[in-house]
Amino acid sequence: MASYLAKRLGASILTAFLASILVFMLVRLVPGDVVAQMMGQAGGAEAEASLRAFFGLDQPIYMQYLIWIGNVLQGDLGTSWARGLPVSDMVGKAFMVTLEIGIVTLVVATLVGVPLGVIAAIYEGRPLDTIIQGFNLLGLAAPVFWVGLMLLVGVSSALSWSPPLRFVPPTRSLADNIAILVLPVASLALLQAAAYSQFVRQNVVSAMHQEYVRTAIAKGVPVRLIFFKHILRNVLVPIVTFMGLILIQILGGVVIIESLFALPGLGRLLLNAIETRDYPVVQGALLLVVVAAMVVNLVVDLAYRLIDPRLRTA
Amino acid sequence: MTRHSLKRAFVGALLCGVAAITAPGAFAEDLYGPIPANPTMGGALNMGLLVEPPGLDPFHQAADARIRVTVLMYQGLFYEGGNGEAIPLLAESFEVSEDGLEYTIKLRDGVVFHNGEAMDAEDVAYSYNYIRDPENGSPGAGDFSVIENVEVVDPLTVKFILSAPNASLPMTLGNKYGAVVPAGYFDDPSAKNRMNAESVGTGPFKLVEFNPNSNLLLERNEDYWEEGVPYLDEIDFAFLPNSASMLVALRNNRIDLVKLERPQDVQQVESVEGLEVERWPSLNQKPIDLGAELAPLDDVRVRQAIALAVDKEEIKNASVGDYGEVITTMPAGMADAWGVPTDELSFMSRDVEKAKALLAEAGHPDGFDLTLTTINGYDWMDPAAVTLKEQLAEIGINLNIQRVDLGVWIDNFRGKTMGFTFNDWASQPDPHLLFYRHFHKQPEGADFRNWNNDEASALLDAGRAESDPQKRKEIYADFQKVLAETVPTIMLFSADHVTVKNGKVQNFSQHPTGWYYGLARTYVGE
Repeated sequence: MASYLAKRLGASILTAFLASILVFMLVRLVPGDVVAQMMGQAGGAEAEASLRAFFGLDQPIYMQYLIWIGNVLQGDLGTSWARGLPVSDMVGKAFMVTLEIGIVTLVVATLVGVPLGVIAAIYEGRPLDTIIQGFNLLGLAAPVFWVGLMLLVGVSSALSWSPPLRFVPPTRSLADNIAILVLPVASLALLQAAAYSQFVRQNVVSAMHQEYVRTAIAKGVPVRLIFFKHILRNVLVPIVTFMGLILIQILGGVVIIESLFALPGLGRLLLNAIETRDYPVVQGALLLVVVAAMVVNLVVDLAYRLIDPRLRTA
Repeated sequence: MTRHSLKRAFVGALLCGVAAITAPGAFAEDLYGPIPANPTMGGALNMGLLVEPPGLDPFHQAADARIRVTVLMYQGLFYEGGNGEAIPLLAESFEVSEDGLEYTIKLRDGVVFHNGEAMDAEDVAYSYNYIRDPENGSPGAGDFSVIENVEVVDPLTVKFILSAPNASLPMTLGNKYGAVVPAGYFDDPSAKNRMNAESVGTGPFKLVEFNPNSNLLLERNEDYWEEGVPYLDEIDFAFLPNSASMLVALRNNRIDLVKLERPQDVQQVESVEGLEVERWPSLNQKPIDLGAELAPLDDVRVRQAIALAVDKEEIKNASVGDYGEVITTMPAGMADAWGVPTDELSFMSRDVEKAKALLAEAGHPDGFDLTLTTINGYDWMDPAAVTLKEQLAEIGINLNIQRVDLGVWIDNFRGKTMGFTFNDWASQPDPHLLFYRHFHKQPEGADFRNWNNDEASALLDAGRAESDPQKRKEIYADFQKVLAETVPTIMLFSADHVTVKNGKVQNFSQHPTGWYYGLARTYVGE
């Protein structure tokens, strides 16, 4: 286990390093830099050159990279060019918002999607199954931004209520935090719950048709015991994998939802930073996303090993 | 809906002017907007902003979204009067030398910075000497390049020394770029960044906090130099990334006031009880720019043919419906003061036959392919592009529409390779500031469209030097005739500023620049 972990960590660090180079180059490939953005339709060449030197953009790209990565390794992500705030503060704050949305959505989607999938599988081919599958289809087909927009506009006209505009962390006021998050989480969770339910249903249905299940039934093992001890345990491995995928998918969907509901999360921060060509923020935020995705994958891998003893020796 | 006209604002200003003579000490002009009769003191206003300011530094950030809010915190020597007159702000009065090369400016006494220090001539000289030096990297440096030096005469007097006469100097010393900040402010290398954390201006409001992707909070400046203003204790600007959430927030009173980016959104709120829609004249313009570096736009006959094929009214209707005004060679907000009657300008009315003839004469009897660049996020450009495509098809020009990111577009623009493109811009209400940098030949101007027109450049030089208002008007009229005749740009329309507010908001007025000066005169009632 320890050597496996060491191998995985080593590979992750290398990936992160390569990703950092890629991210650094990619943001610089986008035409127009922060200075052009600050100058707009005004300004002269001399003023432009002076600002470029101020931001270090007059140096060769490899030098810019070495300076940046050197600082990153010392824990300094730099200062935002547009906002003048430390990147680590901006990215950290935004990440907490996104993480909260992601985790709450994951919990809601799991609590709704898994039971729905199990119920649909148990009632396979009967009306309840059809209804649940109908919900799944709807959830999978409706784009996140559309669901979000409909919820926002629908709830606002039906109840004359809309979420507060300024984000409040749960540590300051749980009630306000819930009021802010209920619509965005609902929009994101619908899709994920549908995806979950569909996935769980298929896995449970195919497990139910396995020979060992038939044998157990023939032996007279109570159905409840078969279900919880055998079927669910077998289905759990793919579900955990799926959970990891879904968490990463949620983080993607969050970008749209944050912009729709005006939430100060990582997605919106990144979008704004790209628009203003605020390279330090783009680099810092993307680096964090890469690291977060790797951590999620690592945790999923480790979780397998706990659930499925066969993988432990591998 | 209320539609405010600029003419009425003039009358208001004149009436105030009369009152000022009988009541010394009152403010003569409509500085920041009309003074209300019985304002309520205190309270907070929530305003929604669809475009988040990229930063709050008035010296190094040119974005209009920055200027809109920083005018409340920072002040220059003059205020951009709606009718095109520069009204003393931190200045009290000024005198110009015979040769027009020296402006001696008396400063207002008793002005205090947000940090508690008193403002004097040292600060003024420092601030303008800083911004005019291109080494310091201000996008506004070009506007101030005519200033050779700013000298301190006494603690309340400064002298601006110019390299050439410039009648627009007072307007240049307004609030678009730079401001008066304490002397030596930028000596500290982190000063630029600090402007996003605390304000150091002299304006009616102070910065409390600026949270990326969230909000900008301002509070009343208790030491503000004008007596009794501002009325609001707090202004909280919420950044709303899209129209839908803005409209929802407006309907549910999460925000009290907003300026729409797309006038068409009015339809969503028009019928909502308790919301009032107001329209204000603007200085913005939405033109088609024709970069002569892109063949065959280098042939003036081709540009003239395009001008003749364009139906501005139809494009305006497709883009903003009734919420705008078709223009000729001046933005709507300046047309009364500086415009030329349409019948004195060439190529202003549609004539497809004549356009075809011009194209044939230029060697394109069967037309040609042309790419129009539009910018992502500028909603009016999409319907306008489709409409223009149909209009140009009538003279055989096949228009390909290319949508680019703003960063890409700015790069092309600044690199003078804009080609055939829609543009969206505004300036202070002064013809020199409007035209010079955009249209004067290099190196004095930037000549973004590669127009390279000697006659126009000579007129722009003459207009800059002339101080007599009537003669200035004639010079700029001649310039507009050249502009219409040789078509480096086709100004299509000015979109109105459209604001929506709930019943709580009193006495808000929208300045034609689109900047939020009016908040310094706004109060909240029941």
